Amino acid sequence: MRRFIISVAAAMLVVLAVGGAVVAGDGGGSSVTRARLERSLPVAFANLYADQAKLLGHHGVTPASLHAEAMCDKGGAVEDDIGPGSNWNCLVSWTDPANPMPPEGYGKFELDVHSNGCYTAGGSSKLVGYQTITDTKGDVVTNPVSEFDGCFDPNGDNTPTGNLFPSLTSVTTTALLPDADHRISLQLSCGTGATGCQGMLSAVAGSTKLGSVSFDIPEEQTAKLRIPTPVPAGTDAVDFTLTVTRGTGPKGPVSETSLDMPAG
Amino acid sequence: MTTTVAQPRTPTSEQVTDPGRPRFGAALRWETRKLRAQLRARALVIGAILAPIAVVLVVHSQPRPPKDTLFGRFATENGFAMALLVLGVASQWVLPLLTAIVAGDIFASEDQHGTWKTVLTRSISRSRLFWAKAVVAVVFALLTLVLLAASTIAFSVLIVGAHPLTGLSGQTIPASSAVALVSTAWASMALPMVGFTCLALLFSVWSRNAAVGIAAPVVLGLVMQLVGALGGIETLRPFLLTTPFEAWHGLLAAPRFTGPLLESVVTSAGWSVACLTAAFLILRRRDITGG
Amino acid sequence: MHPDSSTELAVDAVDVTKRYGPLVAVDNLNLQVAPGEVYGILGPNGAGKTTFLRMLFGLIRPDSGTVRVFGRAWADAGVQVLDGVAGFIESPRFYPYLTGRQNLEGLALLDGTDPTRSGSRIDEVLDVVDLAGRENDKVAGYSYGMRQRLGVAASLLRDPRLLVLDEPANGLDPGGIRDMRALVKRLTEGGLTVLLSSHHMDEVEEICDNVTIMSRGRVAFHGSIGDLRAMAPDPGHLLSTSDDARAVVLARELHPAVAVEPDGGGGLVASGASHLLSAYVADLVRADIELRAFTPTRTPLEALFFMLTDTEAEPDEPSEPGERFAHRQQAGAAR
Repeated sequence: MRRFIISVAAAMLVVLAVGGAVVAGDGGGSSVTRARLERSLPVAFANLYADQAKLLGHHGVTPASLHAEAMCDKGGAVEDDIGPGSNWNCLVSWTDPANPMPPEGYGKFELDVHSNGCYTAGGSSKLVGYQTITDTKGDVVTNPVSEFDGCFDPNGDNTPTGNLFPSLTSVTTTALLPDADHRISLQLSCGTGATGCQGMLSAVAGSTKLGSVSFDIPEEQTAKLRIPTPVPAGTDAVDFTLTVTRGTGPKGPVSETSLDMPAG
Repeated sequence: MTTTVAQPRTPTSEQVTDPGRPRFGAALRWETRKLRAQLRARALVIGAILAPIAVVLVVHSQPRPPKDTLFGRFATENGFAMALLVLGVASQWVLPLLTAIVAGDIFASEDQHGTWKTVLTRSISRSRLFWAKAVVAVVFALLTLVLLAASTIAFSVLIVGAHPLTGLSGQTIPASSAVALVSTAWASMALPMVGFTCLALLFSVWSRNAAVGIAAPVVLGLVMQLVGALGGIETLRPFLLTTPFEAWHGLLAAPRFTGPLLESVVTSAGWSVACLTAAFLILRRRDITGG
Repeated sequence: MHPDSSTELAVDAVDVTKRYGPLVAVDNLNLQVAPGEVYGILGPNGAGKTTFLRMLFGLIRPDSGTVRVFGRAWADAGVQVLDGVAGFIESPRFYPYLTGRQNLEGLALLDGTDPTRSGSRIDEVLDVVDLAGRENDKVAGYSYGMRQRLGVAASLLRDPRLLVLDEPANGLDPGGIRDMRALVKRLTEGGLTVLLSSHHMDEVEEICDNVTIMSRGRVAFHGSIGDLRAMAPDPGHLLSTSDDARAVVLARELHPAVAVEPDGGGGLVASGASHLLSAYVADLVRADIELRAFTPTRTPLEALFFMLTDTEAEPDEPSEPGERFAHRQQAGAAR
């Protein structure tokens, strides 16, 4: 028993010592990189999307016709895009006439990437459908693109793909809550993307201009914008105009939205 | 009572030219014979054939597929995926254990039975005995792997069915080529399996205790797996003996990549040579005082 | 034919030393065994006999010095040293899950014997050690004595020129000891060179030509049994009389060369040259002192052995090796 404990302890020590030395030596260069994911994910996605199209009876969809491309990011702007983890996000764009892309031009996939180069990707149901779908024969079958596994070559091409997709600015506030001075604020979020989000938000209550606020939000972060002018009493709703100068908005560069003021 | 046996033997011409030097084959035969007489060896062989049937039946009857392992999401409806799921799970600790049960014991059992002095006072050298044991342990490891692989693939296909397989690039692999790929994936386990056999041999020689010889490689395998899965120290991965267990992934991608398989040859060979050399030196220099 | 196989020493140990940490197990041992000789190594447990025999078999390496067997040393000849050598060290051990015959067949393989030819030879040696009929039982079911005899059979299988037996009677019951001694004696009568270790003087005295007595790793005596006898002290005798007090006085007055002292167990111990003792006993009878017992305390060689090795532990303690063995067996079973 003593020899057993000694041997296991010694082996662990060796592993840790070598590990420490190696990590100290080169910073632990991982084979899990953005470029490799950006090359691997669209291939797997396109193959599986074509399978899905076949199940649904959509004709003319082939992996090649989709022209799928991806841009991947780990942990937003604050983290380097390298190494395994469950905080990888990939934006994938493709062309399917039967299923047009939203204005931003891509769908988002969340990835759990392992150190061995294999990953599990899950897509948004809005674009790829739910876990199960009904095929042409009327059977309920597993949706191949809703969630799938893939592996990339850990020694594969690691030159940057140059795929850049703009960050999507979106309004996350759903109900206005004026403060004691009757001023309102709006929460914006900036999604995964190459650029971060910049632009201007202006608000109008009926005919009263409440002013505008500029914003500059890094990717995968949120910001709370305070409208400087108090909302006049008796206002039912406030109209907002979101003008995005960097990145993209929910409906293109200029989006309009209206939110009701709480009663009383 | 015979008294003839007690008479001094004048050296015959045969003794002078080759005084009964046992050939390597004789030591191999002896080690094989001992292994065959051991209950554990027979149990392992039978287990390698029967256990996959039970595993395949149990997984097949699950209402939800085990999605957290590669190919698990297709395992309940595709026999090839089932065979690869079993492969993925087996490589975590079953394969190291399978070989360590014999290799971790093969030297230590001589200590346990006190029989080092029995065999080393014959005409066989320590080196020949060492290599005979090493060869028998490696051949046994490969035999159990072949049986396990054959049984797993055969019963997965029989019970779950042979349908086209979705590969790791989302591509569809026709059943005909899936058989070859799945078999090759299983065959690629031979390299790390030999590595773990040599590791178990080293522990068997060094610890002189069968329990250590069996448990230590398995525990070490789990530790290496954990280290290999951690982020930040992935430059260690090529040096870990558990990395070759994942080299088959490239076979099921499109385009196929074989870099990890080549690396696994180097890694496994490195571990095997290092462990065997250390074990050999320890045994050569050791004072046999027990028994 | 080997040109010098007849003149070469069977065993030639020169300045052999082996240490285990601070303990010197064998201290500068020199020992020569001529071919055809029956040689005894005597010593209490722990004297270094077994350590020396392990070095002879190459199981352990001496720290310094060389052991040559028929002219070959381990350093240059390797396992060839063991050509023509057979024997066992401490209790012989076998694979318990194999039968006696399977064990012998395996060892024959390791001897380089063609297994198709070893069969009849195995029958022969099994017959010599009286194990014929039990050879197909697993060794796990063998008694200690049977294993000991299987050990002799395994040694004879090698047709040795030199047979090394380490405490062959150790741990056997009285019947087993008798059988084993008879077997060893029979083997030595054939002219085989035998190196026998023991901690019983009488075992060695009966059959050996030359002996080495070891104590704490060193040679305490070296020579023929005849030399040893000449050195032996006068034997002591236990004396019991009807009047011990007068017997003491009588010795003091008439036989100053005979020492008569009260023994712890009630009775007297008389020691002196044997002819003087006879005269003393005759005088006791003449003085009307009744003689109830007159028995030698131990043989002269035993007395010498204990003197040389400094062990005053009770010489014959048959339970001790047996107990030690029983303990070892339990330890083995527990594993």
